[in-house]
Amino acid sequence: MLGFLKKKSKHNKAIVVGIDGVSCRLLNRFTKEGLMPNLADIVSKGTITDMTASIPEISSTSWTTFMTGVNPGKHGIYGFMELQKGSYKWRFPNSADIKSKTLWEIAGEQGKKSIVLNVPSTYPARPLNGILTAGFVALDLKKATYPDMAYEYLKNIGYRMDVDIKKVQESVQALALDIEEAFTIREKAILYFLDNHAWDLFIGVITETDRLHHYLWSALEDEKHPQHNFFLDFYRKLDTFLGKMYERAGDDIPFIILSDHGSIGIKQEIYLNAWLKENGYLKFKKENPETFEDMLPESKTFVLDPARFYIHSKGKYPQGNVTSDEYYNLRQKLKEELLLLSVNGEKVIRSVFLKEGLYSGNLVDEAPDLVALPYEGYDLKGAINKTQISGKGFLTGGHTRDDAVFYINRKINVTNINIIDVAPTITSLLKIEHNGFDGKCLI
Amino acid sequence: MELNEREKLMALNLEEKINQSKKVIKEAIEKFGTEKLAVAWTGGKDSTTMTWLFREACRDLNIPMPKIMFIDEGYVFEEIWDIVNQLKKDWNLNVIIAKNTDVSDKAKNIGDMIKVSSLNERNRSEIVTLGFDGEEFPFEPESYVGNHLMKTVAMNTFLEENGILALATAIRWDEQTARIEETYFSPRSNPSHVRVQPILHFKERDIWNFIFAYKVPFCVLYNDGYRSLGAKGSTTKMSDIPAWEQDLENTSERAGRGQNKEEIMGKLRDLGYM
Repeated sequence: MLGFLKKKSKHNKAIVVGIDGVSCRLLNRFTKEGLMPNLADIVSKGTITDMTASIPEISSTSWTTFMTGVNPGKHGIYGFMELQKGSYKWRFPNSADIKSKTLWEIAGEQGKKSIVLNVPSTYPARPLNGILTAGFVALDLKKATYPDMAYEYLKNIGYRMDVDIKKVQESVQALALDIEEAFTIREKAILYFLDNHAWDLFIGVITETDRLHHYLWSALEDEKHPQHNFFLDFYRKLDTFLGKMYERAGDDIPFIILSDHGSIGIKQEIYLNAWLKENGYLKFKKENPETFEDMLPESKTFVLDPARFYIHSKGKYPQGNVTSDEYYNLRQKLKEELLLLSVNGEKVIRSVFLKEGLYSGNLVDEAPDLVALPYEGYDLKGAINKTQISGKGFLTGGHTRDDAVFYINRKINVTNINIIDVAPTITSLLKIEHNGFDGKCLI
Repeated sequence: MELNEREKLMALNLEEKINQSKKVIKEAIEKFGTEKLAVAWTGGKDSTTMTWLFREACRDLNIPMPKIMFIDEGYVFEEIWDIVNQLKKDWNLNVIIAKNTDVSDKAKNIGDMIKVSSLNERNRSEIVTLGFDGEEFPFEPESYVGNHLMKTVAMNTFLEENGILALATAIRWDEQTARIEETYFSPRSNPSHVRVQPILHFKERDIWNFIFAYKVPFCVLYNDGYRSLGAKGSTTKMSDIPAWEQDLENTSERAGRGQNKEEIMGKLRDLGYM
C-alpha cells in the first residue's frame, strides 16, 4: 500500500504533525544538544521558527484557529467553557460550535481526502471525506471517530483518546508510564493510517507532550528530579516518531510540524476572580461559590479560564447591571489596574486586550470583553473558589503564547507567524482555492 | 429494568418494536383511560412516531385518541408549525397548545427583558422557587428562568387544568447515557402523574426505518441535516445531508444539543481549568 501511495503524485499533498504545547525554544535546545538528531536533520531541510498562538493561548481556541484559518470572532471558540446564553450555567462548546469551515471540510468539497487524528476540539466527529478521530475533550471513542471502519480499527488496537491523568493520584511515575503508553498507541495509529489509507491531507496530533509539560515541567528543570530522564527520553521518542513521519514524506511532500502554544515552568498561579473579589468587582452569595449561578447581581465583571474578562452587562446577562455608558470606562479602569497587578514585587500581566482589538466577525458579540496575557511563568486562572490572588496548584508547567513552533520542509522567509497562517499555507500546498481566511500564506 | 432485558428489547426487529410499544400504550390506556392520558408531541420525529403508534392502538381498541399536548415555548421553528398543522388536520388530532402566555405576552422578541413584577402570581412564585432574585430576566426559552416558565410551567399548567394523570413522552434509551435508567412507566411528582414512555427501545435508526416503511410525514428540517430538534436558536445541525443518511451509529444525535457536563468538567479540571 505504501508503494502504491508513493507512486502517486507527491504534489498537492501535505503531512501535518501537531505537537501540543511544544515550545520552539525547547526544540532548538534539544536539537542543539543532540537529544533530537532526527529533528536536527529535518530542520536542516527547511525552516523552523517560533510562532504566536491564538488569544487566549489555549488548545481549544488555538487548534480551532489552526483548522479554520480564521479568528475566534468567526469560528466562535473562545475557550473550553462558556456560560449558556441568558443564564449563568456552564456550557462546553464542541465541534458543533465551530462556525467556520475546517481545512478538511474545505478540502473535501474539492474532492480531497483528509485523515485527521487527535486534533483537539473536533469531538464529536463530524462526517468528512476521509477519516477523523477527535482529540481533547473527547468522551466516547465511537462518537469521536468517523467512519465506523476507523473506529473498529482503533478499538481493536486499544487506542487511547487521552492520557489517564487520574494516575497521578497513584504516583507521578504511574502518570509518566501512562503518558508513554498513550503516546505509543497514538504513534501506532498515526503510522497505520498514514501507510494504509489514501489521503491528500494528513494531520496527526500528539497531545502527550502537553500532559507531560503540565505535570512534569519540574522534572525537566531539575536534574535530580526522579522523572528527569523520563522527560528527556520522552523527547527522544518524539524525535524518533518525527523521523518516521518525515521518512514517509520525503523531501517532496510538504511536511509541517506545529504546536498550538508553548510551555514554561509556573512560578505562581494567579486567580483573577479572587483579584476581582478583592477589588470589589465581583461578589458571590456564598463563601464557597461553585458556579456563576452563585454570583450576586451587583457584580461588575467575572473571569472564565484562562483570563477572559466578561463585563456583567445589562441586557446580556439575566442580572447584568453594567450599562453601555459605564462599559467603556469600566474596561479602561480594569485594564489599567490589571497592568499594575503584582505578586511578590513582580508585575504579572504583560498585556490586556480589548475585544474589538482582537476579534472580528459575526461572533464578536460572544467574545470576552477583555483578555489578559501574563508575563512568562505566571499562569492566569479563572477558578472561582479561590480566596488568595496567587498560589501554587498541582501543575508545574503552563502555557506561553509567543513560543509555539512552526516548521516546514521549505525555505521560507516570513516573520511574525501566527497559527492562523497555517491553514492558508496548507490549502496553497494542496492547490485548493479558498477565500475568506484571516491568515496569510507562508510560502 | 435489568440490563439484559433492556438490551433484548433494543435488539428486537422493527415489527416487534412496534408491537412492544403498542403493548405499553394499551396498558397505559387500560390503567388511565383516554381522558386522563395525554400525549406530548413536539413535531419531532420521535413524538410523531409515538403519536402514530397511539393512533394505531386506539384504532385496534376502537376508542378515541387522547388529547395531544404541544408546548409552544415561544421559539418554535416555522417548519415545526407546518408539520404540526398538517398532521393535526390529516390525522384529526385534538391538539392543545400549552403556552405560558402570561410570560410570552410581555415580550415581542427573543432576548427582550421581562419584569418579574409584571407577571402573575403563579409565575412569580415559580421564579422565587428557582432562587432567582433579579428584577427582570431575558425572554430566552432555553435560559434557566425562561426554560422553566415556558416549558415546565406551561406543561404543569396543562396537566393540572386537564386533570391529566399520565403523560406519554417519546424519549429513547439510545439518545444519551443518562436515559439508560428510564422505564416504560415512571412516576413523577409536582404535579403527581406518571410518565408513559412507550418507545424507549427504539434506536434512532429504527425511527427512520419506521418513518419510511410507514410513510409517516416528518418535519422538513431533517432533510437539511438536523438530527434532533429543540428550540430554534439553540439547535444546530451537524451536517448538511439529511438526518437519515448521516452516520447515525457513529455520530451523536444530540451533539447539536445536550452535553455530558460532569465528565467534561472532570477532564478540564485535570488540566487545571475550572
